[in-house]
Amino acid sequence: MHPPDPDPAVAASTAELPLLISGMDCAACAGPIADALQAVPGVLTAEVSGGTSRATVRYDARRVIPSQLFDAVQAAGYGACADTLAQAKVQRRDESRKAMWRLFVASFCAMQVMMLATPAYVAPAGDLTPEFKRLLDMASALLTLPVLVFGALPWFAAATRALRRGRVVMELPVSLGIVVAFVASCVAAFEPDSWAGSDVYFDSLCMFIGVLLAARWWEMRARHRASEALEATLSATPDTAERERSDGGVETVALAQLRPGDVVRVPLGQAFPADGALLGTPTQADEALLTGESTPVPKAAGDAVIAGSVNLGVPARVRVHRVGADTRLAALQALVRGAMSQRPAAAALADAWAAPFLVAVLTLAVLGAWAWSFIDPSRAVWVAVAVLIVTCPCALSLAVPATLLAATRGLARQGVLVRRLEALAILARVDQVVFDKTGTLSRDALGLAGVRPSAAAAELGLADPHEALAAAAALAVWSGHPRSRILVDAARSDAQPRSGAQSLAAPLEWQGIEEVIGRGVQAHDAHGRRWRLGAHAWALDDAATGAGAPEVQPANQLVMSCNGRVVVQFEIEETPRRDAVAGVAALHDLGLATMLLSGDQPAATHALAQRVGIRHWQAGASAQDKLDAVAALQAQGRRVAMVGDGFNDAPVLARADVSIAMGQAALAAREQADLVLLSDRPADAALAVATARRTLGLVRQNMLWAATYNAACIPLALVGWLPPWAAGIGMALSSVLVVANAQRAASLPRRAGILPLNGALEWKASTC
Amino acid sequence: MSSASLANASRSAPVAESQYSDTAIRLFALAAVLWGVVGMLVGVIIAAQLTWPELNFGISFLSYGRLRPLHTNAVIFAFGGCVLFATAYHVVQRTCQTRLFMPGLAMFTFIGWQLVILAAAITLPLGYTSGKEYAELEWPIDIAIAVVWVSFAVVFFGTIGTRKVRHIYVANWFFGAFILAVALLHIVNSAAIPVSLLKSYSAYAGVQDAMIQWWYGHNAVGFFLTAGFLGMMYYYIPKQAERPVYSYRLSIVHFWALIFTYMWAGPHHLHYTALPDWAQSIGMLFSLILLAPSWGGMINGIMTLSGAWHKLREDPILKFLIVSLSFYGMSTFEGPMMSIKTVNALSHYTDWTVGHVHSGALGWVGLISMGCLYHLIPRMFDRTQMYSVKAIELHFWIATIGIVLYIAAMWIAGVMQGLMWRAVNPDGTLVYTFVESVKATFPYYVIRLLGGVLYLSGMLIMAWNVVMTVRNGRAAPQPIPVVAMAHA
Amino acid sequence: MESLYLLIPLSAGLILFIVAVFGWAVFGGQFESLEAEAERILTEPSDSLDADQGRRALRSEQSTSP
Repeated sequence: MHPPDPDPAVAASTAELPLLISGMDCAACAGPIADALQAVPGVLTAEVSGGTSRATVRYDARRVIPSQLFDAVQAAGYGACADTLAQAKVQRRDESRKAMWRLFVASFCAMQVMMLATPAYVAPAGDLTPEFKRLLDMASALLTLPVLVFGALPWFAAATRALRRGRVVMELPVSLGIVVAFVASCVAAFEPDSWAGSDVYFDSLCMFIGVLLAARWWEMRARHRASEALEATLSATPDTAERERSDGGVETVALAQLRPGDVVRVPLGQAFPADGALLGTPTQADEALLTGESTPVPKAAGDAVIAGSVNLGVPARVRVHRVGADTRLAALQALVRGAMSQRPAAAALADAWAAPFLVAVLTLAVLGAWAWSFIDPSRAVWVAVAVLIVTCPCALSLAVPATLLAATRGLARQGVLVRRLEALAILARVDQVVFDKTGTLSRDALGLAGVRPSAAAAELGLADPHEALAAAAALAVWSGHPRSRILVDAARSDAQPRSGAQSLAAPLEWQGIEEVIGRGVQAHDAHGRRWRLGAHAWALDDAATGAGAPEVQPANQLVMSCNGRVVVQFEIEETPRRDAVAGVAALHDLGLATMLLSGDQPAATHALAQRVGIRHWQAGASAQDKLDAVAALQAQGRRVAMVGDGFNDAPVLARADVSIAMGQAALAAREQADLVLLSDRPADAALAVATARRTLGLVRQNMLWAATYNAACIPLALVGWLPPWAAGIGMALSSVLVVANAQRAASLPRRAGILPLNGALEWKASTC
Repeated sequence: MSSASLANASRSAPVAESQYSDTAIRLFALAAVLWGVVGMLVGVIIAAQLTWPELNFGISFLSYGRLRPLHTNAVIFAFGGCVLFATAYHVVQRTCQTRLFMPGLAMFTFIGWQLVILAAAITLPLGYTSGKEYAELEWPIDIAIAVVWVSFAVVFFGTIGTRKVRHIYVANWFFGAFILAVALLHIVNSAAIPVSLLKSYSAYAGVQDAMIQWWYGHNAVGFFLTAGFLGMMYYYIPKQAERPVYSYRLSIVHFWALIFTYMWAGPHHLHYTALPDWAQSIGMLFSLILLAPSWGGMINGIMTLSGAWHKLREDPILKFLIVSLSFYGMSTFEGPMMSIKTVNALSHYTDWTVGHVHSGALGWVGLISMGCLYHLIPRMFDRTQMYSVKAIELHFWIATIGIVLYIAAMWIAGVMQGLMWRAVNPDGTLVYTFVESVKATFPYYVIRLLGGVLYLSGMLIMAWNVVMTVRNGRAAPQPIPVVAMAHA
Repeated sequence: MESLYLLIPLSAGLILFIVAVFGWAVFGGQFESLEAEAERILTEPSDSLDADQGRRALRSEQSTSP
């Protein structure tokens, strides 16, 4: 399309960069953007497409660096960044075009060849004179050639390549069968009285190739749709962000320019540009792209927001924590791409198993032909062809990866990312699950578990726990301590449904508010009473300042006192994740044993283990202790799956047979783990196990089918009861059946308590 | 090509380059209306002659045998042909966003085609005919047709080749296939050995000639009367309804499926003839298969109105376009049914065949042409609408009633004829003489004539409406919008 | 059926030609972004006209603007 540059030096240094343009509202914007890009010295051509918001720039790499291009577009009033997904798209597009071409050639010519073959089938004996039959056969042969060249040639190439390396692959008997059938049909057409008989099978050949290509095309489309849908939702991140400046103003910056610590503004309906923490007014976020749940997730001040999730509630301000490659989104992108393009080790194993099978088939074909050359020579070659074509090792070569990929797709919709396909197979046989505590089974943040007003509270009008909470929160709001935040958040979400207000009632007017570091917050009310909120001992201490009081305090208690008497006690505790209980129960239902390993204190560990229903737990475990525990289990012959967040489990995760990382896990853990629970739902581990077992079951079904089918059809072919056209249909339908059965793995099993969510990710085919 | 340089190009280019070339379109569109009236008038005359043979008047150039091919050629090639030329030139320019390639050659096709029509109008009544159905014209006119057709192909494909939009809209695929197929069919079928200026002998003989003739005949129906008009349908229905085609993907599948199934349906015209049985069987089989892609196209077109059915109530042009598709569906169902040998044993040579032809011709080809012309003509004369929308509505109803009368009469007549002809006495003799079947057909010929008169009246209303529209409009040049995107 | 000696090679040649055309189309990207292409004929102004009936204003100055 572009004429080569006459200057060879320029040609050698020409680079091409695909860009994503943001801010294009109309097709007419393409003009000024293209002008702006072309104005950069060293840019050779710039093509801008308004419909897809993409541009392709060719430039002299010696004179231009990409940031100049981004700046030029920004100066024109738009945003630009490199389109990293472009290459994957181009690859998919090329693969799709080739597959469509091959399928069309095969089916179009097959249709024509079948038309030409029909007279031979329908004409009563003698009605079709030999000359015309030969004419029809010649035309059939001619039209079969494109099918061989374009449809089947890649299989021939694969078979010969493998042969040169001394290996036998599935494509070999298929290729041999096709070639022999074609040659024998040609001979039968031109020399009807020779060894090939007088029947031609061009139509069977074409149709067989066509159906096989259709099965492959179907599988490719499913694979592409999965990638496209994920990439489409992934590229829903905005390309620019509104960053607050130190002078209070707001500037639009490209995503790449964000740094941790920046504060960005996210309007209603826009995606959050980076991982961060919500500042100020609570809002709601749609996290469907990562968790599969489309119900809005309430986000209070301080809650984490995920890059790419959509802001649904009110315009929000977010302090950026992680940008670029470190966001969950970018990691997800990389993981997805890696997972989707894998050829699992399982498939290589299948190929090895297939080799002796295929050699056996080839031997049988030759033996069959030799035997028949004594019985009825004109049928000998057709028997061999039938044997070669009817065998279907596709269950091994095609179905195992197809099934695993389908399962991966189904799990991805649920928010579970499978990084290594063979982990699914191992997961199906796991009988022990070890959980980390903090961040895995429990939330990162603590929560309010109980409010207990004391007897004295009634005198102060705070007998009602809600009022007590409100009063405490009105005081806590002045403290920056995380525990105070818990009270404030709890009070807010408590107050909202009742009074509909988001602000706190102030039943008592505070004066002289003072925060004592390490102890709590203190204030006087209108009546001059001294209120304290904070550590137990300090709150009860009657001394004016409380300095010197013993520090023994249960870590999980906050006390509000008035003049030294306990008014309200607040229980703070680790809250388990919403579905932890259900998830553990589901794992037990599946017959797995569970165990909780934690570096935390025994009391807390025991409490949580009881809450979620795990009987075996170990507290105060260091990384080495955890490693030893897993090793011990494995020494018992158990297969262990470890679920953790990687902050201090990385070696243990590596040690386990299957490692499952939470979505909020450390980057390193996410990169090493076999599965990632993007949804941060521990119950999804149970879902993954159930899916893995089901998938393995489907793989076994496919293998069983292949075995039965071959066991039945090969003898039939050898005996001569399977004409080539029947062999072709059988093989093709068998392939289709196997691929179709494999797709069932994408629909997840339903188990009580872990229903897979419906309507999670939207599957949109990319139109670019 | 960068959009920046493209913008520069159109800013500095001369004015003529940035305007569509619509003169040929205007001329062809008006000629279509004229030849429609003429062709249908001749049709009414010959229908009257079948009813009352006295109307032959003993005058050779007014005799049924000579006027019938004049009718078929006039409605198919003069009326249908001019509509196809006009719409093809219009659609290809608008969808490719570029001026017609070699507008002078397009004018040549107009003049040449009118000369062909006039030559037909003169030679056919004078009795010069090759005797091949829908290919009656003698060899000099056949050569002229070939020359005009090659020019048509050059203009059309040249415009596609110089398009500014990368994607080729589906309608253009249908037009392109129609043009190439007709060229091939015409050249092969019209091969003849001339012996004098207006007399030639077909290069083929006997049943061979029959096979080639009906290979031509059915593919002429399939490509001239179907593919070409489907191209029109895929552009003008979305434009008139202001909605995209229901499933663009399906339209592409429809195109490819139609292409490869049509080739082998020809033998269904030759059931129970000297054609070998196996050839007849293939014709039957593939005619049945043809049902699927045809109905796919019909559903695609009709469902384009999905979500906007109220427009059908308000807009008479949409009535023409959508109802034409119903008749298309009906004909493409009836056709395969009639190609089944057992059915054909009853229907062959009866008026049922005539009824089938006319449901397709009046119902599909006629109505879609009228709808498209009603959309096209005002826009070619700088108007948004025809002079009288009520007249369009009136035309629609008169035409539809005419069609229904026509085909119902012919169905009844046809089945009756078939049954009468095969009625056999126990001793093996025929129950009815041929003349008796003719007499029994008479009332149906009257009804058919009435239907035809109604259809012609509708066409006359259209002619009046077109004249009034053109008188109130003007032929203004239309600028080609600059393609802002460098590529699709 | 001697005519078949003409018709069958003719249709075989036609098939090869059609297959070649399809190849040109698929590798030329003709079958991509189909929904956008279906919409295009509606959004691109093919006939720019006034909303109401009647003659339009002089077009000469409009013809030269891009």
